[in-house]
Amino acid sequence: MLTINNVVKHRGNQEILSGVSFKARPGRVTGFLGPNGAGKSSTLRILLGLDRATSGSALIDGVPFAELQNPLATVGAALDGFGAHRMRTGRAHLRWIARAAGLSHSRVEEVLEIVGLTNVAGKRVGTYSLGMGKRLGMAAALLGDPEILVLDEPVNGLDPEGIRWIRTFLRERAESGKTVLLSSHLMGELAETVDDVVIINHGKVVADGTLEEVIGNHSTLEEAFFALTSKNNGDGV
Amino acid sequence: MRAFNAELSKLFSLPGIWLAFLIGAFVPAVIAALDSTAQKEEIIAGVSTRLSEVGYIGLALGVQGIIILGVLAVSSEYLTESSESGGGNQITTSLTVVSSRFHFLLAKASAVTVIGILLSIVAILTTVSATNLILGEYAPAFEAPKLIGVVCYWTFTALLAFGITILTKNGIIPLTVLIINSSVVAVSYLLSKVTKLAFYLPDIAGSNMFMSDGFHTPFTGGLIMFAWVAVLFIIAVIVFHRRDVAS
Repeated sequence: MLTINNVVKHRGNQEILSGVSFKARPGRVTGFLGPNGAGKSSTLRILLGLDRATSGSALIDGVPFAELQNPLATVGAALDGFGAHRMRTGRAHLRWIARAAGLSHSRVEEVLEIVGLTNVAGKRVGTYSLGMGKRLGMAAALLGDPEILVLDEPVNGLDPEGIRWIRTFLRERAESGKTVLLSSHLMGELAETVDDVVIINHGKVVADGTLEEVIGNHSTLEEAFFALTSKNNGDGV
Repeated sequence: MRAFNAELSKLFSLPGIWLAFLIGAFVPAVIAALDSTAQKEEIIAGVSTRLSEVGYIGLALGVQGIIILGVLAVSSEYLTESSESGGGNQITTSLTVVSSRFHFLLAKASAVTVIGILLSIVAILTTVSATNLILGEYAPAFEAPKLIGVVCYWTFTALLAFGITILTKNGIIPLTVLIINSSVVAVSYLLSKVTKLAFYLPDIAGSNMFMSDGFHTPFTGGLIMFAWVAVLFIIAVIVFHRRDVAS
């Protein structure tokens, strides 16, 4: 269970997040949606202890990230970019992560297999395509077989096959009782994957509920998204 | 301990680190060999005034490899990926794998210390061998306390480079400043001609641990350099603990 409670974040004079609250529950895929710059990544970074909230709390199974004993076995995260040094091979990247969590080399080979990178594991990360880098990030998130996955824009840059793979994969995770939180600015790709939806715009949550609740009277999630986010902009539709 | 193993694994799988090893293992020996060759006649004639520095001069000036080690351990975390790949960096992964930032820094500093000690021992072996090869029976005896001083000097130098890079998040500035100071223009050495305060700079004070004409005793010199390392590390821990990764 992930609990974001009234998180406020200032950077310089700007208020990036103004009291963001929502939950991501076990057994559900929660989609965290919003336009670019709405505060999605900032919220996830605070949740993972990378950035500090000005006020409010972001808890993972009831505790802040910094207090997790073995973070990799609790929460797997894939954020922007590959999260890897470009001169290292994909396999070497996963191996140091495995060492940090006390996992074996055979687990590294397992996750390489799961994300389909076994054949290129010996190549430097710098030679990877965007899709391969995303898969490497997923592999790192899966190493500790965590109960919770936090993914920032997981489908961004993936080819149709990759998007299909990630959808199926995340549905399976959720159905086995695990928690999945993913952010995206792409509505179409997500409507078929998520159970719950949180929409953020200008650092504020503008909708939070099940997929059906958020779509409401609109024909699609995309329609609902534009209605909610442009209303909040004050532009009118 | 796991975090420490991970840091060792990170360092050894980075190609740049092998350049650091190569430079660290051989540059001191080359400097010492050149200096011994230049001094050979005077040493044989028994009129050399610099006998006590023979060999050690290479270990004092040839610290570029260890500087690269300290800088690279940190700068590799902050190296930004291409914008095409989303412009991430490794530090986000590192800090989602080890939840305590203090443990992360401690593990990294320990890995740099251990590799620094090993590299300095290798450098001592190559440098002493090179000196003996050139001077033969005229080579000075290398004393254990001074050689321990060399190991401390090298390790502290690596940790200074490490601490400065934590603050700058980028390897270019510390690498340029430290390498130029150690080899091309010794700013701290020049300063020491102007003011006595410069004898308290870490590199000048630290070199007193094995260069005999020092302002401080070897022990005091080592203590001064260690104090620099300790203060810098405390500042680095505080800054690193407070810093947003995104900033």
